[in-house]
Amino acid sequence: MRDLPGKALAQELAAASQAEARATPMEDVIAKAANDGLDTTATHRLVGRLWALERMFYYIYGGWGQGLEMNDFPPSVKYLFSKQIVDESTHEMLYMDLLLKKGFIANQKAAFADPACGFRVNSSLAYYIFSLRNLATYPHTIRIAALNLGPKILELAWTEALAAATDDPELKGAFESQIVENRSHVNMGRRIVEEFISKPVDAELAHWAVGIAKRDYCRYLQEVADIVLDRPLTAPTPPRVRVLD
Amino acid sequence: MLKVDHQRCTECRMCYIVCRELDINAVYVAHEPLHRIEIDPVACTYPGCTACLMYCPAAGSIVEVETGRSVVPPPLEAWQA
Repeated sequence: MRDLPGKALAQELAAASQAEARATPMEDVIAKAANDGLDTTATHRLVGRLWALERMFYYIYGGWGQGLEMNDFPPSVKYLFSKQIVDESTHEMLYMDLLLKKGFIANQKAAFADPACGFRVNSSLAYYIFSLRNLATYPHTIRIAALNLGPKILELAWTEALAAATDDPELKGAFESQIVENRSHVNMGRRIVEEFISKPVDAELAHWAVGIAKRDYCRYLQEVADIVLDRPLTAPTPPRVRVLD
Repeated sequence: MLKVDHQRCTECRMCYIVCRELDINAVYVAHEPLHRIEIDPVACTYPGCTACLMYCPAAGSIVEVETGRSVVPPPLEAWQA
């Protein structure tokens, strides 16, 4: 097999995310699930917040898809992206099924008005979504690196841990069944970085984008943990640069 | 009672979409790595509702459990339900 130009970069980005993967705000939720179990309210809030994020991937990937042109990448890159879109849609369906089956909402339409499931612009969820959507203006390889070698690695770790910690069979089933797909997204990210990120400028951009995506994902996870555990919302770290205009 | 024949189903998920839209919520995603579509016999109102059959594009992919009969494309009586 030929040498892949981005192999070292992919390994570096993945290893950095792996090192942080079991130190996210979700650890409090995992501990709660393992020690006391998640009660009905906590489960409702957890699934609701996760569904609210998953459904927003239609919006994020819609923006990313518009940035793809004919012949800009080989078909394999576009195939992997479309597979990821389908998988994300499946995860949205899994959470919706759970909300309905557990009786947290009466029907699909009710989810949009439900406090646990609803989308608010003034939230860390929105901050993360807009942060990912903003990557639409960057090359596809950069944004796939940002998501799949950043938040996806964190997500895989807490999903596996929470599936192991909870004794709710439906919650466990929903998480466990996603693991293969999440692992494949990480592998997709690795493959795309290995094959297509070869220039130093792109490597630098990938470092920056992964860092931003992980920071904003952890901000979203902090909000999820606070809501699930019924704590006051943690104020986000203020931006380092004040924008004046 | 209906079930999905996974040998023929293409997983296009039209049945899931229409079942959700009608608020019957009998079609769901199975908790297994392939995430195949299944039909909950308790929630499904067939033969009262036949919407999934009307939208299913893959011949033979939804069958009656009791008779083993394929109901895609929908038989005449499905249109009269």
